[in-house]
Amino acid sequence: MDVRTHMSMIFHLDKCIGCHTCSVACKNLWTDRKGAEYMWWNNVETRPGTGFPTQWENQEHFRGGWERKKGKLDLKLHTRLEGIFKLFYNPSLPGLRDYYEPFTFDYQNLFNSPKKDVQPIAEPISMITGDPIDIETGPNWDDDLGGSNIYAKNDVNLESLPQEVREQMNELERLVFNYLPRICNHCLNPACVAACPSGAIYKRDEDGVVLVNENDCRAWRMCVAACPYKKVYYNWNTGKSEKCILCFPRMETGQAPACAHSCVGRIRYMGVLLYDADQIPHAANVPDDELISAHREMILDPFDPKVIAAAKENGIGDDWIESAQNSPAYKFVKEWEIALPLHPEFRTMVMMYYIPPLSPVVSVTEKSLFRLDLMQEDYDFELFDRLDAARLPIKYLANLFSAGDEGTIRTVLRKLLAVRIYMRRKTVRGKVDSVSRKTLAEAGLTEEQAITMYKMTTLPTMEERFVFPNYHREMSIEAMLDPLTHKGEVGLGYIQQPKRGE
Amino acid sequence: MKIRHKIWNSFGGRSFVILLLCVFFLLLGGCQTSAEPASQASSAGQDLFETNCVSCHTIGAGVLVGPDLESVLERRDREWLAEFIRIPDQIILSGDPIVLKMLDEFNNVEMPNLALTEADVEALLVFLESSGNVELVAEAPLPPGDIYRGEAIFSGGNVLEEGGTPCVACHTVGNIGFLGGGVLGPDLTKVYTRFGEAGLVGAIKNIVFPTMRGIYAEKELTDQEVADLLAYFATVDREGEEGTASGASLIFWGVGLLGAAALFGFMLLFWSQQKETLSDRLRKDAGIISRRRS
Repeated sequence: MDVRTHMSMIFHLDKCIGCHTCSVACKNLWTDRKGAEYMWWNNVETRPGTGFPTQWENQEHFRGGWERKKGKLDLKLHTRLEGIFKLFYNPSLPGLRDYYEPFTFDYQNLFNSPKKDVQPIAEPISMITGDPIDIETGPNWDDDLGGSNIYAKNDVNLESLPQEVREQMNELERLVFNYLPRICNHCLNPACVAACPSGAIYKRDEDGVVLVNENDCRAWRMCVAACPYKKVYYNWNTGKSEKCILCFPRMETGQAPACAHSCVGRIRYMGVLLYDADQIPHAANVPDDELISAHREMILDPFDPKVIAAAKENGIGDDWIESAQNSPAYKFVKEWEIALPLHPEFRTMVMMYYIPPLSPVVSVTEKSLFRLDLMQEDYDFELFDRLDAARLPIKYLANLFSAGDEGTIRTVLRKLLAVRIYMRRKTVRGKVDSVSRKTLAEAGLTEEQAITMYKMTTLPTMEERFVFPNYHREMSIEAMLDPLTHKGEVGLGYIQQPKRGE
Repeated sequence: MKIRHKIWNSFGGRSFVILLLCVFFLLLGGCQTSAEPASQASSAGQDLFETNCVSCHTIGAGVLVGPDLESVLERRDREWLAEFIRIPDQIILSGDPIVLKMLDEFNNVEMPNLALTEADVEALLVFLESSGNVELVAEAPLPPGDIYRGEAIFSGGNVLEEGGTPCVACHTVGNIGFLGGGVLGPDLTKVYTRFGEAGLVGAIKNIVFPTMRGIYAEKELTDQEVADLLAYFATVDREGEEGTASGASLIFWGVGLLGAAALFGFMLLFWSQQKETLSDRLRKDAGIISRRRS
């Protein structure tokens, strides 16, 4: 057992309102620079939709992630030999038009326009060339089903759905969408690291953050092509690749990453996960239907004395173990088993997890009027036994979060519904009846679990959502530098020296 | 004992001794310079003449490539001559009437700029003024040359003994073949006539052309090589025609342009596909035509 620590984020999709505050916080903090205008280290996609960059999940085109060939795991992008031939021309590499041409508006024209018969307008301007452009697309162009006949229709995850279901999803009475915020998944088996010819990408030991060493990056852009989530971006100005750094400077000082901290819906949780690094090769290389269970197997129980002993042997401090015990990530992923990795079939072993969203029941047409397809008897959340009546097809969610395995999604959704039914009975009616107890038991939860899950979902404090261990950065600096080196010095100095008598 | 050693080894002690030695040698050097007789200037001029001029000029032995320089100072103004020796290329370019007449007379062989300093020129002039009483050493006669070896030397088939660059890298001759030689230096087809045998020997053995000088500075040709080249040049002069291979450059351009056109044409077949991104394709399939100004 090789116990390691990882900072993991949980996205509770049921709570996401699609406000893009996370994206804006990230943009303002990290990518508001020349060459980075088009990057969205954090972006929010509307699902069904094609996401950003357009159809990034289409790995037949972009060839990201890993492929299982004859029991061996290989990059889908290329073998080593192919990689050499593709060094200078890589057709799998997304181009700027796959993302979008970043734009701003010529606001000055509103003030400086000469007198005309018509109102002056602020013309869109390309942030790359500075020339006027016609905006054709953007990072959230298909937001809230905008242009869904182009984008939502071409969602890759819909491909394995029956044609009639796909057609029904375009009908008004079945229309549905949810939001999917995405950051770098800081994978345990990162394809970007494996593909980099310069060895410039690495995974931090203490918290698993995957980082690009800008000094070593030689702009081969293999990471951009190899990442199945398209979360490594190439900065055309500096000639280096960049990616989400999980706001490690914030985490090191005990603050949540900007996207998580600013989240309006409070959908994000963060905490330490302990995992067994010895199991990664196995867990990344199992058949598709075993991926989730192998992944969960790899996450270790921080209360297990054997795990604690092995962790200490690996030099993991007490505060990290304690933090792992209080971690909301551990509860959602392992204890309650309701948080799932996004596209586990890419086999990069992602460490950011999603709680799949619930959706309303479908409507039916009755005497040319729409009516929600509810059951007659008095029973809240009638979806519990009829998950197929949900507007988001189970298969669709399974394609997103469980490599197509519907059973996993059903289990998770039933847990979410059971907690709702239980808590509604308890708070609205004031008593817990046998029906709600039965649903809870059927979903595989205890009453105690249901209450903690409810509290963690609806009423968590900042400290409960974000549990950060002490990084002790000052101690790791001490090993290389004398912390008192600059004692008594005047910091960054003065731009203008203050003078007496002035 | 120990202390004395320390003093001797100390930096101050040593540097004092070094300083003394320096002063001594400086004084010695000064004495030597001042002891040099004034007539040495003429000898320095002779050295310069032998390294730079003898390939083309004689003093009293008749015309070689350029004119006989005996009593040249009686024929030409001293200042004009000094200027011409220092920067002949610029004077030729300026269209000086004397030079134009001389060029006509000497097969249009231009005198190269030898990069001499004003002091060098002065020394040369002093030597030329007093040249009546200086004997120039006669060159040893060349061994018999071989035309085929000469051709091999010219075209690089035979490696030059001292490792010099073969002529064909920069020069061409009439019958060198389909692709011709280099174009940096002049066409050498008629060089034998233009320079004359003695002049050509001088020009090859004692190279003064500024571009060639650096290349062959440490890599002089042997007498045998010079003789072979001479034999070759004599044949080429008789048989070859100037500029016959210059058509090769036209072929180069033709093949290059056609090849480029073919390659670009081939790339054009893939261009439209290559430019279309997934999101472009989605929009096109949905019937949205890109309005982008490109």
